[in-house]
Amino acid sequence: MIELKNIEKYYSSKGIKHYVLRHVTTTIKQGEFVSIMGPSGAGKSTLLNILGMLEEPTYGTYEFLGEDVTTLKERKRIELYRNHIGFVFQAYHLIDEMTVYENIEAPLLYKKVAGAERASRIADLLDRFNIVAKKDLFPNQLSGGQQQLVGIARALAAQPSIILADEPTGNLQSAQAEQIMELFKKLNVEEGITIVQVTHSEKNAQYGSRILNIADGVVKDDITVASV
Amino acid sequence: MFKLNLKIALRNLWRNKGFTLINLGGLAIGMACCLMLLLYVNYERSYDQQFKKLDQIYLAKLKLKVNGEVITTGAVPYKLAKAVLEEIPGIKNAARLYSLNGQKLFSHKQNKFKLNSYFVDPSFINILNYKFLYGNSANALNEPGSVLITSATAKKLFGSENVVGQSIKWDNRKVLKVSAVIEDLPKNQTIQFDVLQPWAFLEQINPEIPATGWGSIDCSTIFQLKDNVFLKDVNDRLKDFIVAKNPEIKSYVYEPFLFPLSKTHLWDEFKNGKVVGGRIDQVRLFTFLGLCVLLIACINYMNLSTARSEKRAREVGVKKALGSARSTLMGQFLLESIILAFVAVLVAFVLLEVFLPYFNNLLDIKIFIDYSSYTFWIVLVGLALITGFLAGSYPAFYLSSFIPVKVLKGFKGSTGSLSIRRVLVIFQFSLSICMIISAIVVYRQIQYLKNKPLGFDQNFMVQLDLEGELKNHSRLQAFKDNLIRNGAVVSASEFASNFTGGGSITGNLSWPGKAADDNAIINYRSTGFNYIKTIGTKVIAGRDLSKEFPADTITSVLLNETAVKRMGLKNPVGTILSWGDNPPLTVVGVVQDYFNESFGKIVEPTIFYYNVNKSSVLLLRLNPNQSLSSSIQAIKNSSEEFNPAYPPQLTFVNDGMKEKLQSEKLLSVLSNIFGGFAIFISCLGLLGLALYMAEQRSKEVSIRKVLGANLSDILILLNKDFMKLVIISNVIAIPVAYFLVNHWLQKYDYKIAIDPWPFALALLASVIIAVLTVSLQTFKVAKANAVDALKYE
Repeated sequence: MIELKNIEKYYSSKGIKHYVLRHVTTTIKQGEFVSIMGPSGAGKSTLLNILGMLEEPTYGTYEFLGEDVTTLKERKRIELYRNHIGFVFQAYHLIDEMTVYENIEAPLLYKKVAGAERASRIADLLDRFNIVAKKDLFPNQLSGGQQQLVGIARALAAQPSIILADEPTGNLQSAQAEQIMELFKKLNVEEGITIVQVTHSEKNAQYGSRILNIADGVVKDDITVASV
Repeated sequence: MFKLNLKIALRNLWRNKGFTLINLGGLAIGMACCLMLLLYVNYERSYDQQFKKLDQIYLAKLKLKVNGEVITTGAVPYKLAKAVLEEIPGIKNAARLYSLNGQKLFSHKQNKFKLNSYFVDPSFINILNYKFLYGNSANALNEPGSVLITSATAKKLFGSENVVGQSIKWDNRKVLKVSAVIEDLPKNQTIQFDVLQPWAFLEQINPEIPATGWGSIDCSTIFQLKDNVFLKDVNDRLKDFIVAKNPEIKSYVYEPFLFPLSKTHLWDEFKNGKVVGGRIDQVRLFTFLGLCVLLIACINYMNLSTARSEKRAREVGVKKALGSARSTLMGQFLLESIILAFVAVLVAFVLLEVFLPYFNNLLDIKIFIDYSSYTFWIVLVGLALITGFLAGSYPAFYLSSFIPVKVLKGFKGSTGSLSIRRVLVIFQFSLSICMIISAIVVYRQIQYLKNKPLGFDQNFMVQLDLEGELKNHSRLQAFKDNLIRNGAVVSASEFASNFTGGGSITGNLSWPGKAADDNAIINYRSTGFNYIKTIGTKVIAGRDLSKEFPADTITSVLLNETAVKRMGLKNPVGTILSWGDNPPLTVVGVVQDYFNESFGKIVEPTIFYYNVNKSSVLLLRLNPNQSLSSSIQAIKNSSEEFNPAYPPQLTFVNDGMKEKLQSEKLLSVLSNIFGGFAIFISCLGLLGLALYMAEQRSKEVSIRKVLGANLSDILILLNKDFMKLVIISNVIAIPVAYFLVNHWLQKYDYKIAIDPWPFALALLASVIIAVLTVSLQTFKVAKANAVDALKYE
């Protein structure tokens, strides 16, 4: 599904190149659950941003679903966001002015899903995540864990083929974190959604099927997690 | 999607009540100003538009050389209308228009009123289509004794409208018959009257009119062309029309031309026979002012909206990551500003309705909102849309341009946008400072004109029309004696016409040493005895006209200083002048120049002579030792005793003088109001910028505080940037304002020198206001607990 070839990313300041990523080559298949790990400043988030097309690599090629997306027109990129990619952020990034219901509805509106279909999908998600009672609340009325649930529900609403999560549990207490990770695992196993997450926690990484260890911009290890 | 955007926009506005209020207030005030001025401009432009064939209707104007300068007047010879109609093809109709000096008494039984009356040729009511309530335009003015009145006049005199066939007494002398009643004239019409009378009647009471020559210019004339294609041809033929009839007056130019009635109201200033402006300048100025205030309000919105970018940035980032196109986001921001603009229009509308009566009163006009007119609603909706669009476009463009990865990582406002915002604030402030300076200069010029010695004493001076019994010499003398005896007045003198108005001019006056080619035009005024004492001016040389000298009634004249200068007389007293068919006239005195006709203009050369018959006004100097009201009452009582048929109407000379400053006053009031609003709205903008800055720099301030900076250090640090903006605005505004006020002052012969203090005052005011506004915010930031800002990151 994703093919990275020789991805490099550097910032140059005063003629000195500052490498963030070097020679990253990897493939992520449909249905994988990949955790990107590494110390602070290793380039994990940059790699995830490149995967999410929020940033462009300096060198290298990136194929998404067999299509070269290294440099992509804005319109085309929005198309991919609408149909294939769901983002989950560490700081949730729910829209404060919208209710839970509207937050989940937003991607569907952009995707121009018809009204009835929209309502049924949202109802389904609210039900699944056990947040029906909260649908008319605003994000600041929810706990962190609940906000992240909404964030994931929102990411799932458009029925993406891949979820990109940047430290989804970074701001959560461990009990809530566990709940979120279970959810990811369930989504991955039961619905076959590809998940790529960035995480600091060895424990969280164990939920996935594969771990990419990054240090100083280079992929050090690529470990397959033995199914429990 | 639209519904959701709408909902979010409303929620956004509701959540940030402070911002919304500032924005709403700014926009509403801006729009109210703009709407008010648009209404005013529309009103001014609507003058005379009620007439059906307006495009074919012209007024005759006449180019005339007066004292070396070509002036343009609306007065033409009596003979012009008929001769042109007969001799120049292409003219469908012509009508003369003449009014006797001042208002005339019209009475019906006990109802007596002094009304404005015009004498017109019968075709006048065919050229201008008035709406006849009773009677008709075909025969309303055919009989000399017939009279056409407006509906308000009918109600005043008779108490009812349908009064055709009833009789009215004119000037307590002649009985006239009402032949038609027309609808009241709208206020936005150039030719205003209460009564129309046939020209034939004028010729009955003034039999010399048909014999008056081509050199005398007395009446207005209105022409209707068959078709506008004739205009150029008619004007070409008109050029030499009068001098061909009377070659002797060629040196005075005497060139008539046609000027469209539709332009008469707005374009009334001529130079060298070409129209150069007039009221239109004022209209344009006010349009410009209104748009400026609106623009300032829009800039405010842009500033405040972009200032909140940090808060909105995350929303933009998330939405983009969720798949929103940029255009959708722009749409959302525009929707927000358009909603706000519509709310602002509603508020502006309320403001407008509340303040319109004051505005009408101030300008002495009659503007109302025509709710049934489509144009009004279209303009209202259009204004809201345009304002919303204008105000929202930059924020929409700017906010929707955020790159998601950057804003999601933690947004740092780009300096680029700040500099645009700075330019906007500089622009706002420059405009406001310009307005402040102009307002100060206009105010000072008015004060200067008001306080400039007039050369005569305008207080304790009233005038009374000479009519009825008072036309009789001996009765008049008895009346005057009575007033002086009972202590109401100290001195009285007849005068040619309304003291604060203009008067007659002549080119026939000669003096020793006058060059053959000197086409001097001299003003002349008839007076009674004790004229100088009555108006309270001084004799510079010689003496006042007095009944002690029998010759004073026949051959003695007075000159004013300007006339002496104009004639180049070394020893004016005793000089012999010749004037037309009169016997040689002797100058017996020189009067100090005084300003009774206009405030800022130089005095015209004038000659004064004794003639009670030609005088239509009695000037009275009230007894300063007696209370004003008792003097007035005494005069009224006397007048009712001596002249019972006429209601005593006294006018105060100082009121007449006040009216002359009306347009200056208007300019002053409007520039004060709009300047004030501009400054107020600009301050809101500055507040917005300060808020933005406070958000931006809270971390920096916290670090500095931790490092040991005290409150004043931080206040100086934060206020410095804003002061720079205000100073730059001043640097831009001061030369522009200097140019503008200098230009405005040009039209006055007497004017203030432009000194630095209005500029210094504007500079000081703008700096102080800015410091106060900004400190409101910066103080909060400087006082804030450092830990709060540093905790994040």
